[in-house]
Amino acid sequence: MLRFLGLRLAQLAVVVLAVTLLFYWMLSLLPGNPCVAAFGGGATEEQIAECEQDRNLDDPVIVQWAKWGGDVLTGDMGKSYLTGRTFGEAFTNALPRTLLLLAYSQFLALGAAIPLGLWSGYRQNSVGDKIASGGAFALLSAPVFVLGLVLSLVFAVKLDWFDLGGYQPISEGLVAHFKVMFLPAVTLAAGLLPIYLRLLRTDVIGTLQEDFVGTARAKGLPVRHVLLRHVLRPSSFTLLTVFGIQAAQAVNAAIVVEFLFDLDGVGSLLVSWVAAREFLLVQTLVALIAAVFVTVTTMVDLLYSVLDPRVRRR
Amino acid sequence: MTDTATAVAGAQPEIRPRRQGRNLALWLSVGWLALVVAAAVAAPWLGFLDDPHRPLAGQPEEGPSWSHWFGTDQLGRDMFARSVWGGRLSLSIAGPAVGIGIVAGGLLGVAAGYFGKWVDGAVSSVVNVALALPALVFALFIVTVLGQSYANVTIAVTILTIPAIARIARAQALRFAAREFVTVADMMGAKWPRLLFREVLPNVVPALASIAFLAMGIVIIAEGSLSFIGVSVGSPSITWGNILAAGRGRLEESPHIALTTGGVMFATLLALNFVGDELLRRLDVREARI
Repeated sequence: MLRFLGLRLAQLAVVVLAVTLLFYWMLSLLPGNPCVAAFGGGATEEQIAECEQDRNLDDPVIVQWAKWGGDVLTGDMGKSYLTGRTFGEAFTNALPRTLLLLAYSQFLALGAAIPLGLWSGYRQNSVGDKIASGGAFALLSAPVFVLGLVLSLVFAVKLDWFDLGGYQPISEGLVAHFKVMFLPAVTLAAGLLPIYLRLLRTDVIGTLQEDFVGTARAKGLPVRHVLLRHVLRPSSFTLLTVFGIQAAQAVNAAIVVEFLFDLDGVGSLLVSWVAAREFLLVQTLVALIAAVFVTVTTMVDLLYSVLDPRVRRR
Repeated sequence: MTDTATAVAGAQPEIRPRRQGRNLALWLSVGWLALVVAAAVAAPWLGFLDDPHRPLAGQPEEGPSWSHWFGTDQLGRDMFARSVWGGRLSLSIAGPAVGIGIVAGGLLGVAAGYFGKWVDGAVSSVVNVALALPALVFALFIVTVLGQSYANVTIAVTILTIPAIARIARAQALRFAAREFVTVADMMGAKWPRLLFREVLPNVVPALASIAFLAMGIVIIAEGSLSFIGVSVGSPSITWGNILAAGRGRLEESPHIALTTGGVMFATLLALNFVGDELLRRLDVREARI
């Protein structure tokens, strides 16, 4: 177990180091002085000199990278030269929005996929199952931005049930909060739902052939009980694994959804820094996302190996 | 139990109409894809197509009509022409990206699956890491650092396809490397290039061909996402993604902008996925979901 954990942690460190070094190298290939660009052209000599010192531009790329890494690890994440806002301020403002969006969408996706998956696995090839499978296929083919646009057109513009005006925190009242967050969460969930649904259905069809299901039914347990207690439980492994794999997809989609619905989350932060050419901040943010990401997937793997010890032996 | 029994009993008479339905859907998909590709390729020579950049081709912000099939935008530009030209650019990014991705990812994957040992170790660990990272973040970064040009967007989305394709090619190569005919060829004294290129690779190609359709869909979505958030080929170039981004701002006044191009895009992706899935099913390829 310890060996497994150590291996994963080493892998994690290597990935983050390699990715950030690669970015540093790519940034160094850019023509022109990055400090002149960072101020958008309107900087004094002094400001540029300070910025150059800040970023150790006289050093070789690998030293710049090492110093940047040291700064980040000691909590100095840098600031925007254009707006003066620090990385920390911007990030702590954006993070809760993104986390809430991801949490709501996972909740909606699982909440819909579990009953639907159990049912279409149990009633395999029934009309309902075929409709669910067809719907899943269609959802899988719809790009998030098309789906988001259609949903906002129908439910916000035409029916006026929800608002599009940007993020509202929970402190503004739950109604206002959900009027803003519901459509983005549904849009994001719509991309996850078909993946969960398909996997669960395949799993359920397999589990239903097992002897213990027959025994449970023979004992006279109601179908609902058998499905929830006996059939769903072994599938939780699959769902957990997929959850880990799909997290990358969810983040991709979240960037687009945040942009579409003006939520100003972490994804929007990334997009706005990219547009403003704040490369150092982009670099720090990307490294942070990569690190969080690898940590989450590692934790899912660890959890998996705790639940099922066979995984540890590869 | 009873459900399985009825399913088995009911399977016999059901097969014919189901297969016919699937055939029809397959040909509809192929037909739609052919239409979209033909329109994209022939766009400059289509006489009836308006100039997509010409303002006041019709009244501004008008819904679909006989003279402007997809309506017009706030500058009065013909949305049908814009949609066709957008498809031209989006497809001309996706085409080469998938082509290069299939060759590079295919070779990497087949090599990993066939040679095993450290080759597999190296390829697999890179692929697994790449698959677990949010690709759009990196594509965004690559395009902004290198610059928003056609070549750079194509590079960014190509890099994105390689790991997924390599993983599938690896699984296929593993499956065939263990087959009797490869062992027999090996025992008859064939060297590894022959084994790899004449015995294993030809068997992986059909799978790769069907994967190409699915990969095409993924690349179109990726490029669309990039242009939707404004990080693809710069304006005045037209892509499906930036038409939709413009339509987002005009949902109230002219919903037809988002709906028409969105519909074309959705239909194209649906067709790509259906053809890809159907080919995989007919070729009996397992472990091939991207």
